[in-house]
Amino acid sequence: MTLELQKPRPIWQIMFSTHHTDIGLLYLILSIAFLFLGGVLALIIRAELFFPGPQIIADSMTFNRIFTVHGTTLIFLFILPSASAVGNYFVPIMIRYKDMAYPKLNAIAFWMIPPGGALVWLGFADFTWYATPPYSIISAPGPAADMWIFGLKILGISSVLGAINFIVTIMKCKHPDMSMGQIPLLAWSFLVSSMIIVVAIPTFAAALLMLLTDRLGVSGFFNPAMGGDPIAYQHLFWFTFHPEVYVLVIPAIGMMYEIIPRFSRKPIFSKSSGIFAFVLLAVVSFSSWAHHMYASGMSFTEKTVFMVGTLAAVPASGMHVFNFIATMWNGRIKFLTPMMWSIGGIALFFSAGAGGVANAAMPLDFTTHDTYWVVGHFHLFVMGTIAFGTIGFIYYMFPYVTGRMYNETMGKVHFILSFIGAILVFFTQHMLGLLGMPRRIFDYPEIPSWIIGNQIASVGAMIIGVSMVIFLYNLIYSSAKGKPADIHDPFGLGGTYYYPFEAKTPHHN
Amino acid sequence: MRNLLGLFLVLAILVVIPSVDHVFAQADEPAKYIDRRVLIWNLFFKLMTVAFTVGAVVSGTLIWIVWRFRETHPQAKPTEYEKSDTWGGPA
Repeated sequence: MTLELQKPRPIWQIMFSTHHTDIGLLYLILSIAFLFLGGVLALIIRAELFFPGPQIIADSMTFNRIFTVHGTTLIFLFILPSASAVGNYFVPIMIRYKDMAYPKLNAIAFWMIPPGGALVWLGFADFTWYATPPYSIISAPGPAADMWIFGLKILGISSVLGAINFIVTIMKCKHPDMSMGQIPLLAWSFLVSSMIIVVAIPTFAAALLMLLTDRLGVSGFFNPAMGGDPIAYQHLFWFTFHPEVYVLVIPAIGMMYEIIPRFSRKPIFSKSSGIFAFVLLAVVSFSSWAHHMYASGMSFTEKTVFMVGTLAAVPASGMHVFNFIATMWNGRIKFLTPMMWSIGGIALFFSAGAGGVANAAMPLDFTTHDTYWVVGHFHLFVMGTIAFGTIGFIYYMFPYVTGRMYNETMGKVHFILSFIGAILVFFTQHMLGLLGMPRRIFDYPEIPSWIIGNQIASVGAMIIGVSMVIFLYNLIYSSAKGKPADIHDPFGLGGTYYYPFEAKTPHHN
Repeated sequence: MRNLLGLFLVLAILVVIPSVDHVFAQADEPAKYIDRRVLIWNLFFKLMTVAFTVGAVVSGTLIWIVWRFRETHPQAKPTEYEKSDTWGGPA
């Protein structure tokens, strides 16, 4: 693949290609672009909350619009496409097949994302990324809300098409000599997360249609004024989006499974336990959705069932952490940028998981529900674990994509600043939640502890912002003028690589 | 072995019973009064004690591994897999 960039081609050849590495490149560029767009919105939110009272945003509705598009962008337009970028590059190579099973479908799935993203951004809806009724039906101004619904519909279809392609590619196109047990864990992570998508997304697709018809006034599924039940929407939404958390995190863990043994110069401690933990996470992901809804009037028995279902994810997550630690044990670890991001990701994954246990305990959930604790918790997952794993892997695949090495010093500075920033923002947000600060607020009273907490969080966010500028500069500068990479061993580790640069050869075996 | 199991059972009961005794307040005729706020915050502090203890062990192990098994450590030596080139790569 790297050779493709070293021998420049007309841009349209890449844009209209159906080859998996070209599609992967398109996914990568698009996801990085949306990372920066969503990140700018995050900085605006944090700047607004630096002091009590309106600062830089005119009114609360504009604030709501900004955090709605921030969340939607980073989940659907950064994390999911960046995972697809990695999967497109590496899965066919790892299973030793010439391309994805359905190359044209692969291209279609990618090209559905820009219009979906455009609808979300041009509409700039204000009803949070949950689109929770009855507000989203009765009061949310159109056409922004309708554009968001259509945008999410398109992005959902794209996800399902991509997932079907991954499942068929891995299950049916793997080399005949390979057993399922021989497939690398990164490819396994895409298989498992794709299966979750196929099961979970249709429920949200149905909910979106019901939401749209409710908005049009032809139905009243979730409209209390027409006898509907808004809580039903929450069940449909979380049935999709709690498993979606695992759709996001499982590929990131798969990326760490690729990097950690490589830079420890050892095989994975237990591949079978990694596979088992992936499958276990997939199963329990469907047994815990209503833990988001403890405060919605569920019975004690229901809450207990979902609390136990949620806690069932702990052993599987623990198996991954143990696997990473045991893999590094007795290794000879080389601390280059991808490895630093992976280890930082493990540390923050554990912290996020510990906060998750507190959320899962239903009495505690009543204390933390809808406070900044929850904001800190899920951001620690999506930024601290998923984005850390993904960014580490972007550095890892950089020499394969461009044929050049990124600047190592800048990569390490990027990691250190991001790690410090993430701790400052998200740990402080946990504390703000315990101090009683509600989430999704545009203004807050002049309580000294809240002001200090918000200022610490905002400074942390600015540090992450600076680190991301370094990241962008490193990517652009190094892809044009970086040191040429030794494509057989770009990180100087020895051992056998997957040799992604052979992707365009007719046979991968 | 049986003694060990017995000891474990006794310890488990000693820990569990005080933690759940407030369920008796749910009987038809409440056997005791509870202050939910106190209970919830007690549970929070107990869970945080466990989380910070386990977190310290895991983080400490992680930091020690990172320090001890770095390639620049004076006692670092090639892994057995490096010598035979049997690590990583296609399965």
